[in-house]
This record gives sequence, structure tokens and C-alpha cells, in this order.
Amino acid sequence: MDDGGDSRRDLAAGFDSKEYCLSDRDIVEVVRTEYVYTRPPPWSDTLPTIHVITPTYSRPVQKAELTRLANTLLHVPNLHWILVEDSQRRTPLITRLLRDTGLNYTHLNVETPRNYKLRGDMRDPRIPRGTMQRNLALRWLRETFNKNSSQPGIVYFADDDNTYSLELFEEMRSTRKVSVWPVAFVGGLRYESPKVNAAGKVYGWKTVFDPHRPFAIDMAGVAVNLRLILQRSQAYFKLRGVKGGYQESSLLRELVTLNDLEPKAANCTKILVWHTRTEKPVLVNEGKKGFTDPNVEI
Amino acid sequence: MRLKLKNIFLLYLVVSVLGLLCALLQLGQPCACPPAPGAERSRGGARGGAQALPTIYVVTPTYARPVQKAELVRLSQTLLHVPALHWLVVEDAAAPSALVGGLLASSGVPHTHLHAPTPPERRPRPGDPPWVRARGAEQRNRALRWLRDTRTPRDGGVVYFADDDNTYSVRIFEEMRSTRLVSVWPVGLVGGLRFEGPVVSGGRVVGFHTGWRPERPFPLDMAAFAVALPLLLARPGARFDPQAERGFLESSFLGGLVTPQQLEPKAKNCTEVLVWHTRTERPKLRQEEQLQRQGRGSDPRIEV
Repeated sequence: MDDGGDSRRDLAAGFDSKEYCLSDRDIVEVVRTEYVYTRPPPWSDTLPTIHVITPTYSRPVQKAELTRLANTLLHVPNLHWILVEDSQRRTPLITRLLRDTGLNYTHLNVETPRNYKLRGDMRDPRIPRGTMQRNLALRWLRETFNKNSSQPGIVYFADDDNTYSLELFEEMRSTRKVSVWPVAFVGGLRYESPKVNAAGKVYGWKTVFDPHRPFAIDMAGVAVNLRLILQRSQAYFKLRGVKGGYQESSLLRELVTLNDLEPKAANCTKILVWHTRTEKPVLVNEGKKGFTDPNVEI
Repeated sequence: MRLKLKNIFLLYLVVSVLGLLCALLQLGQPCACPPAPGAERSRGGARGGAQALPTIYVVTPTYARPVQKAELVRLSQTLLHVPALHWLVVEDAAAPSALVGGLLASSGVPHTHLHAPTPPERRPRPGDPPWVRARGAEQRNRALRWLRDTRTPRDGGVVYFADDDNTYSVRIFEEMRSTRLVSVWPVGLVGGLRFEGPVVSGGRVVGFHTGWRPERPFPLDMAAFAVALPLLLARPGARFDPQAERGFLESSFLGGLVTPQQLEPKAKNCTEVLVWHTRTERPKLRQEEQLQRQGRGSDPRIEV
């Protein structure tokens, strides 16, 4: 990474000193348009790209969540962020946020139909949040990248409220088909983890909640090689009729068998991702008509 | 003239000498406009940050609970973007822990690892609801003591109290770098409002926009202000009062430093929200607790 900051003092000899002596106000103006708060590491020709798919929806903590997630992603080389809004149109808030991060990104949107969002039905349980958005990202990848292209890539589903260590992204970069690792704070446990035998193969799942699911693992514990996504072009998350906890299985069983899973994070003994959840803020003092200026974006 | 290599060299030599002469003539010429503080363009990253920038001392009290490591990891990832930053992490503990020590060591953020235990009478008791927490006064005061012991007014710099569960944009750190006494800005998702913040008119703080206890001398959240280090050092008595009533901790500290009229508004005259008072849910660990009662809990050597 290039460490040298360049400042006005580095300008070449021979530069007229008068050009330095703008008024203070002018200097501040120039600095404000030039100031770069963050930028990602330089793109490398040799690293596989990590395509991070994040569904997101509007609520008071949305901007905060995406801000801190972006601050994380900005440290990861060759990262492509696919942010998919659950909305009818791409919103100005997200458009501006993405642009200001400096990240390499794609901004998509698809609105989950209202009856799926609200209604809980015995025969047809509510679609888990984010499903349509993740599927749209998968479709975008298949429409954008050629199955035969040699552009190596990894696909990772990262929800906007989890916490990710930087080490995690480097672990997943070597995924050949599907790699897995433990996830903290899911299933009522400190962590859920794949079970790995002495030969380094996954043979089961260390969970309390339904450990006999085909893939008893949280979304945040899996990464898939892009080539596999492109080859199995009909593999999507199932929208309807999926029992709680089976979402991940609905996609993964179309991509890989248990035997082919690659355990990461020191044979699944290290925690590199946490399923954190953010409290819903109590906005009780806004009252019915709103107290704060609605033009101030939060 | 034929384009011979010799001529090209000659031309290059002449231009260089002319340039050198111009530079030599510039030397010693007074420039009437020193760059404004923070005027240097600088890249993020703790390594290689411009040394001329005033250091931001970020004080983070922290305490052991399941999400502690996750909170500190994601906070460190934000801080890693800010040049000339020194992180003072103060554990509410009798001794520094390996978890926090290891995390800090691998974070890449310049730091100092301190600890200060909250006295038993001020700790949350077993029957207390989940939202009752120790106030962090002792830990923040410990950081103030470190600053007073190790820094001089000539060091310059700015002190910011950043709790480990809030969310910070990188921009807020650049806003606070130019603090002369105490600077302020709005904070999102606090005080029962979308945001709470100073009211600014004519570039000065003339009031406070808040929905909770507006009679507080400084109705501000801990994340809403930063203090210039020279001011702090000039007021050796300024500290957080552990006995202060709920919501008055900030006032107990700021009251010893400035009047509300002296506050410097940042973030476009306090119209932009660049920091949010997010709170993290306590994770549901019911199955873990059940297993532990049966003697089959998860491996405690695996750090979460």
C-alpha cells in the first residue's frame, strides 16, 4: 500500500510562490474538494476478487450499519461490494453513501412484495428477509461474468449488521468450491461450527438447533467460488416453503456435497465472524409529528 | 536543428538549472499564508500518516461480555483509517486481559492498554435490568491520568471519548482535529431522537436540540464532543464525576472546561450526523447456558 501522502509542499520546484498564497478561505475550499477520507487498497492483478453481497433495507440504523461495514471492507484488497436494497427504487441515501466510500461497488435493488414481508402463514412461511435481494445479486453475477472467463472470484453473503475480521476475507480467498468456518452468536450458542475430522474433512455440524440439516451453518459461515455460481446457473435461495434455518441449505445443496466442503479458520477452530445484531433505537421523543429536522440524514 | 541526443541532454540540463535557480530564489521568501490546520491531504491508515497532524487520542472504556471482542474488532477497523490517532483502551478490570491485549496487538492501531476497575458499589448488581451498566467514569478518568502523566501542552492534540459500541464515520475524526477548546456536533440515535445536537446560529452554539432532560448544563452525549489536549492539561481538576446523576456525566466533565457559548460547532454547523449511538443486542445464549449446566459447554479456549 502506498504510504506517502502528498501535500502542497511536494509540488515541483519552480512553482510560483504566489500560487501557494491563496486566502485561507480558498485553501480550505480546495482542500475540501480534494480531501479523500478513505480509499481501498490498490487493485491487484493476482488476487481473486471477493464479491460481497449485502442485502439492506431502510430503517434508522441503516446508514450507521453500512458506514461501519464499509469501513471494514475498505481494508480488503480486490473487493467488490454488491449492495442490494429492498426497495422500489435505489435511494439517494445509499447512492451517496456508496459513492463516498470509494469502494468498488454495484448498487442493485428489488422490493420484497408486501404480502411476503408481513404475513406469517402456516403453509407458506414468510420469506426470510434478504432472500430476493441475494438472488438478484446471484443473477447479476451470472449476467455479468462469463462462465468460461478466467476471472477468479469468490462470493460471500455479508449481512449489514454482522461483524467481520479482516482475516476472514483472506481465509476465503483460497476457496476452490465452497469453504466453511465457525460463526459466533448463532443458534443460541457462543458459536456454531462445522465438525472437521483428522483428515481435514467436514463430517457434520456442531449445533444444537437441528444439526441434521444438510448444511447447518449460518450464511456468514460460507463462501462460494464464483465459477461454481456461474456453472450451476439455476442455483438460488428458495423463496417459499423454506423452514427456518434451511435457507442456506436450499442454495448449498445445489452447489456442493458435504465431502467437498473446505474448512477454513484453522480447521474451524477460530472465530473470525460474529453474528452481532443492533438494537432497535427507541425514538420515543420524536413524538407523532417528529421532533428533529427530517432533512438531516441519519 | 537536428534532434541529436546531445541536444536533448543539453535542453534537459538547461531546464533543470533554470528550475533550480527559481527554487533557490524562493528560499527564504516569506509566504504570507501558513496552511490551515488539517489542510494537508492525507490518506487513511495508521502507518505513514502525516506527522504534522495533531494526534487524536481516542479513549474507549470497555468491559468483558460476549460481544466485547466483536465490538473492539469493528471499532479498530474504523480507527485504522485515521492518521495520527492513538487509541487508549481502558478495561473495566483489575488487570489487563489477554483478549483485549491480543486484539490491540494485532489491530495495527497505535494504542495504550490500560485498566481501572469500577468499585463494587457502582457495579451493576445481579438483579439489575440488562441496560444498567457501569458508567465508565473510572475508566475515562484513568485515561485522563495517563494523558496528564505522559503529555505536555506542547504536544497539542485532541481527546475524544469513543464508546466501543457506537458507530463512527471516518469524517468525524477530521472534523475534530482542529478543535481549539471543545468542539461539538450532532449524534444520531440518542436521547430518544433521530439525532441530538447543538443549535448553531452565526457560527456559534446558541442552544441544544434534545428530547431528554434539556436542563442538563451540556445536554450532549459522550460521542458529541472533543477536547483540545492543552485545555485538558491546563485544567488538572477536570474529570468525570462517578457520582453524577444519570445523563449528567458529560456535564460533570465539560463544566470544568468551557461554557456552552465557547463550544466550537463542527459538521457543517452541526447539520450533519457523522456518529451514531448504536447499541448491540445481547446475544441469545440459551442453548450455550443449557449445555454448560450439563457440563457440555463450548470449548472455552476458543476465544469469541
